[in-house]
Amino acid sequence: MGMVKKMGKKASILFNGGLLGKVNRPSRYLGSEFNAVFKSPDQVKVHLVLAFPDLYEVGMSHLGTKILYALANSLPYVYAERVFAPAADMEALLREKDIPLFSLESRTPLSRFDLVGFTLQYELNYTSILNMLHLGGIPMRGEERKQQHPLVIGGGPLALNPEPLAPFLDLFVLGDGEEVLLELLQLYRDWKESGARKEEFLAGAAGIAGVYVPSFYIPRYRGGRFVSLERKEEHAPAIVERRIVSDLDSAFYPRSFIVPYLDIVHDRAILELFRGCPQGCRFCQAGFVYRPMRERSPERLKELAVCIMESTGYEELSLSSLSSSDYSGIEELITLLEEEFAGKQVRLSLPSLKADPFAVKLAARIQGGISGGITFAPEAGTQRLRDIINKRATEDDILSAACDAIEAGRNHLKLYFMLGLPGEKEEDLAGIVELCSRIAAAGRKRSGRGRPLRTTVSVSTFVPKAHTPFQWEPQLDLTEVRRRQEYLRRQFQSLKNVQLTWHQPGMSYLEAVFARGDRRLAAVLEEAHARGSRLDAWSDHFDFQLWEKAFHERGIDPHWYARSSPGYGEPLPWEHLQAGVTRDFLACEHKLAMKGEVTPDCREAQCAGCGLKKCPLAGR
Amino acid sequence: MHRYRLCFSKEGELKYISHLELQRTFFRALRRAGIPLVYSGGFNPQPRLVFAAPLAVGIEGRNEYLDIYLQQYRQERELEEIINRELPAGLAVKNVLEVQPGEPSLPSVVQAALYVVSFDAVPEKLEAAVKGLLSSGSVMVDRKGGKMGKEKKRVDIRTYIYDLKLVKEGAESRLYMLLATGSRGGARPDEVLGLLPVKGESRPAVFRREIFVYSAGKLVSPAGKSPVYTSIQESNSSGK
Repeated sequence: MGMVKKMGKKASILFNGGLLGKVNRPSRYLGSEFNAVFKSPDQVKVHLVLAFPDLYEVGMSHLGTKILYALANSLPYVYAERVFAPAADMEALLREKDIPLFSLESRTPLSRFDLVGFTLQYELNYTSILNMLHLGGIPMRGEERKQQHPLVIGGGPLALNPEPLAPFLDLFVLGDGEEVLLELLQLYRDWKESGARKEEFLAGAAGIAGVYVPSFYIPRYRGGRFVSLERKEEHAPAIVERRIVSDLDSAFYPRSFIVPYLDIVHDRAILELFRGCPQGCRFCQAGFVYRPMRERSPERLKELAVCIMESTGYEELSLSSLSSSDYSGIEELITLLEEEFAGKQVRLSLPSLKADPFAVKLAARIQGGISGGITFAPEAGTQRLRDIINKRATEDDILSAACDAIEAGRNHLKLYFMLGLPGEKEEDLAGIVELCSRIAAAGRKRSGRGRPLRTTVSVSTFVPKAHTPFQWEPQLDLTEVRRRQEYLRRQFQSLKNVQLTWHQPGMSYLEAVFARGDRRLAAVLEEAHARGSRLDAWSDHFDFQLWEKAFHERGIDPHWYARSSPGYGEPLPWEHLQAGVTRDFLACEHKLAMKGEVTPDCREAQCAGCGLKKCPLAGR
Repeated sequence: MHRYRLCFSKEGELKYISHLELQRTFFRALRRAGIPLVYSGGFNPQPRLVFAAPLAVGIEGRNEYLDIYLQQYRQERELEEIINRELPAGLAVKNVLEVQPGEPSLPSVVQAALYVVSFDAVPEKLEAAVKGLLSSGSVMVDRKGGKMGKEKKRVDIRTYIYDLKLVKEGAESRLYMLLATGSRGGARPDEVLGLLPVKGESRPAVFRREIFVYSAGKLVSPAGKSPVYTSIQESNSSGK
C-alpha cells in the first residue's frame, strides 16, 4: 500500500501523545482502517471531504457515502476523505486544544479542503452540520465564505427540501449521485484551473441537471405564508429535477468497503439489490423520491458480492433495499450466492421484509430458520388505516407471517407501528394492542419448545414529509401524541413478554417542523446551535426546551410548520425541486387515502400514472 | 486440526483500538487472507481465536500472542506472509509457530507481563518511591467490582508486583515493571503507576514488551523459545 500520510500539524498532538486515550472509542478517529484510501493531497487537483453529520458508527453504516467515497477516489485527480461529527468528549478536547475538526485520512482541517460534501439523511442532524463547519474553521453562512474557503455542498434525500439549510450550503445535489458528482468534480477542476470567482463556479453548477444553487433564488412571503420563489439570476433554472441513474447494472458500485475497527451500526457488507420501491406507502418519502424501481441483475450482484467479501473479510452480506423480498430475482440470487459462498462461513441477511409468507420463507431459508430475530412493519393497527396509508398487507398476512416465523423457531419478533397517522382513531390504537396480543398468544402456544417468544413493539410518531401524498397533512398535536402514547403504554402493561418502545415526541415534532420547513427556519438552526444543540438524534443530547427557546428567540412559531395543512393550490416551499412524481398524482393519492382506497403495486396492476419520466413501467 | 501461535505487535496509533476491536480486526484479516479457520458449531459459528492476554487501550504491545486453529496444514512462513498483507498499519505478525493442539490454552498459562514506561526526564522522587513500593509488605489499590462495576473493592496487589527497576538508557529513562497477569490474578500497569509520582499533563508512554508463561519453574515466552525471564536487566538486553 502506497501510504502517504500528511498530518495536520495540530491534530498530531492528539495521536502522538496519550491524549486520544482520554476519549471514548478513540478508534473512531484513527482513519487507518483497512481499505481506507491514502493519496497525497498535494498530488490531486480536487480535494473533497465527505461529511456525515452524525457519529462514526452511524455514518460508516451509510451505503451512499461508501459509493461516493469509492467513486470519487477512482478518479486520479480527486482525493475524497471522510469526516464524522465528533462525539461530545472529542469536541471538548478539540476546543480545549484549539484543534480544528479534521478529516480522518490525512487529518487536514476542513477549512483547507476544496469541497465539503454533507449527506442529508435526517432533520435532527442539521445543527451538527453547522457545528462541523464551525469546528472545521469554516464560516457557517455561505455569504460569509470567501474565495479561499471550501465550497459546501449537500446531497441525499433531504436535498429535495433543503430550504432550512439554504443559507449554509452553496449547492444541493438532487437524487442519485453517481453521475452528477462526476460532472461537478470536472466542473470544479476546470474552474479551479481557470482561477475564476466562486460565483462563476456556482453559475456553471446551476447549469448541471440536478444541481440547486439556493443563493440564486429569493423566497417571498405574504401574511406569514410562503408565496413564491423569485429567481435572482437569469441562468438559474425555474425547476430543478432530481437526477436518476437509469441503469444500475452499469452504474458504479464499490468493489471494497472500508472495514472499521469499531462495531458500527451495520457492520457488514451491503449489496444494493435495487433502488426505489414498488410499494407506494403514502407516508414514506423514500417510496416516492427514489422512483422508479431499478434492479441490478443477479449476475452483476454475484460478481460484486464476490469482490466485496474477498476484499473486506466480512462474514455477513446484507441483501439490502427498501423492500428486499420484492426483488424479482431474489430466489435466483440467493441460490447463486449460496453456491458461491458454500463452506466459506458467509451469512446472508435480508434487512427489510414485507409481512408476507414468501418473505418469511426466504428469511427461513437464508438464516437456517433458526433463532435470531425478524422484523415486520404493519405500521397501523387496523385494515382501514392500513388502506389509508396504502400498506396493503392484510391482518391475515401479518398474523400468518408472524406465526410462520414463530413456527420456524424465531425467538424475537420486532413490530413497527406509527402513531398519529392521518385518520387515526381510538380503534386503530386498540387494533395495535389487539394485533400484538394475538401474536404474543401465538408465541405462548409454542412455549415448551425453546425459549418464549419476545416481542418488541416500536411505535414512532407520524411525520408528514415533503414530496409525499401526506405533505398536505398536519402532524398530530404534541399533547395528543403524548396522550395516545400513554394509552398504549397502559394497554401494553398487561401483555407478557411484549416490550413497547417509542420515539421521543419532541424529536418527531422537530423532524416535522423541518421536514416541511422553509428558509426562515435557518435562523432557528443558528440559534439552536449557538445554544449548544448538536447530535440531536441521540436522546442523551436532545433538549426540547433548548429548541423551544430558540424558536421563541427568533420569533418563529414551530406549530405553524408542524401543524399546517395547506390546500392543494397553495404554493409549497419545495416545489421548485422536483422528485419526478407530479403534484397531481400526489394530490390524487391524498384524496384516495381520505377515501380509504388503495393503489396497487406498480408491477402488479395498471400504471397509476405518477408522472415519472423514463419509468420502465409507465403507461402499463 | 492445526494450531498456530502468532506473535504479533500492536504499535503506534493502533494502541487506541480495544481488545474487542483487535479480535474483529484479526478475524477479518484472516478471512481476507483466505485461511481455512476452524469454526465452532451451533447456530452462530465463531472462529477460534485465542489471545494470551488483553491489552488495555493506550498501551502498545511489542510481543503479543494469539492462537489460531486451521482446518489444514500451512507453512509457518507462508502464514506470516499472507496474514501480514491483510493487517492494517500498526499490526504485524512477527513470527508463527505450530503448536500441538493438545497443549493448554494460552490464557490458562499466562503468568506475567513485562511493561516498559518511558520518561524524558525522571520524575523527582521516583527512585525512592519505587524502592519504597518494593519494600512494603502490602500495596492497597481500589478496584471496581460488583454488579456494573459500581462497588469499590480494596485489593492488595503487592504479591502481583514481581519486580520494578528504573534504568537510564541514553537520553531517556525507563521503568521496567514485571507484573503478574492472567487468570490467577494480576496487577495492571496503571494501578502501579497510580502509586508512583509520575502524574502530569503528558502521561508517560507505556508498552508491553513481553508476555510470560510459567514452565518448569521459569517464566518463559509463550513461543517456547527465548526469551526466558531471569531478570529485568537480562531480558532488557535480549528481549528487543
